[in-house]
Amino acid sequence: MATVYINDKPVDIGTERLNCVQAAERADVHVPHYCYHPSLTVVASCRMCLIEMGDLKDGKVTMIPKVFPGCQTPVKDGTVIVTGDYAKRDTSVPPLAYDPKYVPADRAKKAQADTLEGILLNHPLDCPVCDKAGECKLQDYSFEYGRGETRLVDEKNQPPNKPELSSKITLFTDRCIMCTRCVRFTREVSGQAELQVSSRGHHSEIDIFPGEPLENKLAGNVVDLCPVGALGSKDFLYKQRVWYLKSTDSVCNRCSTGCSIHVDANKDVVFRLRPRENPQAQGYFMCDEGRHGYHHADSTERIARPLVRRGDKLVAIPYLDAAQEFRNDFETHLRLHPGAVWAILSPFLTVEEAYLAARWLKGKSQQVKLALGHVPMVGEDDTYPKDRRGRPIQPVKFTIRAEKCPNRLGVEAVLRHFEGSVVPLAKAIESAKRGEAKAVLLTGGYPDPGTLNVFAEKPNDLMLAVTDIFHGAATALAKYVFPATTFSEKEGVYVNYAGLAQALHRSCKPPLEGRSEGQFFMDLAQRNGLFNAATIRKELAAEIRYFAKLADGIPELGVKLF
Amino acid sequence: MSAKTVRWVEEPKMGLFERMYLPAIAQGIATTVRHILKPQVKTEQYPEQEPKLPANYRGVHRLNRDDDGRVRCVACYMCATACPAHCIDIVAAPAPAGWKDREKYPETFVIDELRCIYCGMCEEACPVDAIELTTLYDLTGLSREEMIFDKEKLLSVWDQTTKAGTDPVRTKSGHYGPAADLPK
Amino acid sequence: MTDFDFTYAVILMVVVFAAIMGSVAYLTFAERKISAWVQDRIGPNRVGPWGLLQVAADGLKFFFKEDIIPKHVDRVFYFLAPGIGVATALLAFSIVPFGPSTPAPGPVGVTAEKPLDAAIAQHEADVKSYHEHTIFALAPGLDIGILFAFAIGSLVVYGIILGGWSSNSKYSLLGSLRSSAQIISYEIPLGMSVLGVFLFAGSVNLEKILDYQIHHGWFILYQPLGFLLFIVSVYAECNRLPFDLPEAEQELVGGFHTEYGSMKLGLLLMVDYIHMITTSFFMAIIFFGGWHFPGLSNIDGIGGMVVKFLILGAKVFFFLMLYMIVRWTIPRFKFDQLMALAWQVMIPLAMVNLVSVMIVKEYQLTPWILTVTSIVTFLAAAVISTREKLTVIQRPVNAAHSA
Repeated sequence: MATVYINDKPVDIGTERLNCVQAAERADVHVPHYCYHPSLTVVASCRMCLIEMGDLKDGKVTMIPKVFPGCQTPVKDGTVIVTGDYAKRDTSVPPLAYDPKYVPADRAKKAQADTLEGILLNHPLDCPVCDKAGECKLQDYSFEYGRGETRLVDEKNQPPNKPELSSKITLFTDRCIMCTRCVRFTREVSGQAELQVSSRGHHSEIDIFPGEPLENKLAGNVVDLCPVGALGSKDFLYKQRVWYLKSTDSVCNRCSTGCSIHVDANKDVVFRLRPRENPQAQGYFMCDEGRHGYHHADSTERIARPLVRRGDKLVAIPYLDAAQEFRNDFETHLRLHPGAVWAILSPFLTVEEAYLAARWLKGKSQQVKLALGHVPMVGEDDTYPKDRRGRPIQPVKFTIRAEKCPNRLGVEAVLRHFEGSVVPLAKAIESAKRGEAKAVLLTGGYPDPGTLNVFAEKPNDLMLAVTDIFHGAATALAKYVFPATTFSEKEGVYVNYAGLAQALHRSCKPPLEGRSEGQFFMDLAQRNGLFNAATIRKELAAEIRYFAKLADGIPELGVKLF
Repeated sequence: MSAKTVRWVEEPKMGLFERMYLPAIAQGIATTVRHILKPQVKTEQYPEQEPKLPANYRGVHRLNRDDDGRVRCVACYMCATACPAHCIDIVAAPAPAGWKDREKYPETFVIDELRCIYCGMCEEACPVDAIELTTLYDLTGLSREEMIFDKEKLLSVWDQTTKAGTDPVRTKSGHYGPAADLPK
Repeated sequence: MTDFDFTYAVILMVVVFAAIMGSVAYLTFAERKISAWVQDRIGPNRVGPWGLLQVAADGLKFFFKEDIIPKHVDRVFYFLAPGIGVATALLAFSIVPFGPSTPAPGPVGVTAEKPLDAAIAQHEADVKSYHEHTIFALAPGLDIGILFAFAIGSLVVYGIILGGWSSNSKYSLLGSLRSSAQIISYEIPLGMSVLGVFLFAGSVNLEKILDYQIHHGWFILYQPLGFLLFIVSVYAECNRLPFDLPEAEQELVGGFHTEYGSMKLGLLLMVDYIHMITTSFFMAIIFFGGWHFPGLSNIDGIGGMVVKFLILGAKVFFFLMLYMIVRWTIPRFKFDQLMALAWQVMIPLAMVNLVSVMIVKEYQLTPWILTVTSIVTFLAAAVISTREKLTVIQRPVNAAHSA
């Protein structure tokens, strides 16, 4: 049992190997830092985490008369740490027996202020036009630890910007504080080492090798890693000031890894996605496919209102009318020939939505057939890091999966419960072609247009209803088309490839007359009230054993179902 | 507030003279009548007589131009953030290629003059002295649409007011901030 | 001239009605102008020369405003209220002799010196001479005279109460509640303050009261306290400042007429002004000798009539102006002060005043004693009030204060 003292507060760290920053975190003391990142190697280059250190032995504290970089210094039993924030310590804890001549935090505070002054020497006063302003560590720490004015009388060193760094990322070179997080990320996590530091001293710059831009699939993470506004995402550049954005916890729907994300939205428009640290799901990062994969939500091409076929044309009619007409039509089919009615549940549906649909149909007739919707597969699982030639190397730190849907496991569990087994989509298509199916409800929600084009033809007497985000071959055949919603517009649970159930939260309204599929299926089943994911979750947790753990709500980082 | 901080003040006692009321009423009526007979009218006859406005009057907004005639605004959204009425709508974009001194500029800059409460917070928030309130006070329009000023309209207010000389550039980010250096 | 000439009555009514309405209209204008001057403003000056046509603009505006009837009102009473208000206010004016008047002859008086025949002959001569005069009153020779005016005048409170109640709004109801309490309270000093006058004149007929003053001097000389009480009560009855609690804008939005609009509101506002005119006439006639003015009342013929009209008009004008000046001089009373004034001050004073008159009449003393008693009573009241302990907010006891 090792006990460490942070600003007088004892913390038991067990047998873990921690550095001072991590140990301080255990005592709820934040040590400011720029270059340190838990998933990257430690370089101790920013010097922002300087602390004072000492030893507690026989009730007596011996402080070492210098400051240490907290990120690089491991702690052991009896280590005493005094940070620059000593004045803000928890005063309910009795102070340690310091040497009476020793003034706690005096050195650390001065060291931090001087470090900041050094960092800010060449940093331009760009805050009004800098996208990072508002979430910038440099602003925060300058406010808290820095000095108010600059003493620099000379011209600032202002190297030119490098917008050609990558197609997705731009570099404001003068704002960089040389923490080298981005460089280490490309070397250690993405592996292809596109970035490096060129020149020396105050003239050092982040740069790419000529003709080799930063174009790997994890590159977007360097923007999040950058503690200042030096690296900017071209996708988000100048779109919004960050203080307007409301952050909602959600799950990426672009592959079955199911990265935990923050959805930053303002006024029902998603402006960016950021990875949310979740060791159970993906770790600290997310891929660019997911990061830039939200634009379908704001697309003008989206199906925004229910459409019903009148003659040759699909006509937009009010949601309630459309839902009623569809229900009457579909339930007539259910009464006449329940065995010839198919419902195809898309792996983009949440568990609750799939459950509501299955519950409704199986409640009407046990003979209704449920099948798993189209599961898009693209290539092979893509693992990182890679070497300079693009070959994956071990150990794997990040995987972009080939299965490009977020909830196959969840929907399959629902299907297994109601249907006994998972009927593949192919079987449904086959029976439709043979003319054995009379009515099909095809759910979609695919973020890429054309994914449902597998339904390119149908017998004339087949009644097809489609819910999807974009028009395609299937909607062209359909009698009813309902708008589908995407991850930012619904509440619910996705189960990722490893059986981790994570909650989605709604951050935007669906477009125009769109309703979330959960609400849609509730309306179809004529269940009263508004869709509430937690209530439905309780119900399905009681009914389906696979989901039993969901009954008591879902923790922030999700819950492993098996 | 403790009982000790409460200071109790006795009502002044009324004597016989005050208790009779009538003399006091007569005094009051005398004052009233004096005003009726000699009204000291300070009314300005508005449409015929234009008001003299102080230099820091808060009227219609303008977007200032720099020496090259470009809009000074760098689209930092500080005014939109400071605005308590949410009447400023900016769409930022990377500055045109020729503009060497800045990276960002407002592609559109719209102020809803009907929503605005003319508090002047935008002017105070602006780090580059780009937005100012002028002494144009008689803002009228026949439709809501024409009261929504876009960037061109706001720049034309600058042209108009600087040509007329009514509104010298008011703000100058000095040591004490924009509000300190008002023209005399 | 016969006893009752229908045509003459109709013509008179139309003329009087038109005159009152015209006066009301220009009173609003005067009110606005005087308010403006008191507050060092200019007032309405845009419509017509010196803003004189402002009145027409206001009237037209009232007529052309959208007639909004709130959904929640009791429609019958909501419509009735302004009508009752205006009708009763106008009716009260019917007994006012608005020009040179002659008292109607009394009953046949038989005394020891005057045998029956002579008395009858005298009476007939009186009646004949009375009918030779032009009579400037809608209901001349009404013997209950001013009592009728008080009775009808206080019916106005029905207009206010119905208006407030039928509006089905808190503010309106509060306004009308205040109004009813106020008007009922002030009826008492109002009636009592003129009782002394009745005792002197031996009649409640306005013409007779006037006639008495022509021969014995104005009542203001003998009844200054009575006049003071009368004018205060009348201000309260008219809901004029400082007693305009029923429509205290700061507390009650618009008071009892909050839910009214367009001409219905116009009518309700008119009631106050009609009342002002009527009561100004009362004050001029009861206490200030009506058309009488020393040295100017003996002119005969048309010229004399004009002079008398002008004298009465000048007196009424003076009281109307006083209304407006007082409005901008004295702030509004609180409700408890309003009630205390009526019940604790004015009613006792009126009582003392009445008793003094009775003593003077009983012992045939010179009426000038009453002038003295009035002033003495008033001063005594002031002295008593200085000795009274009236502290609304009690300072906490020192012991509790320091604890």
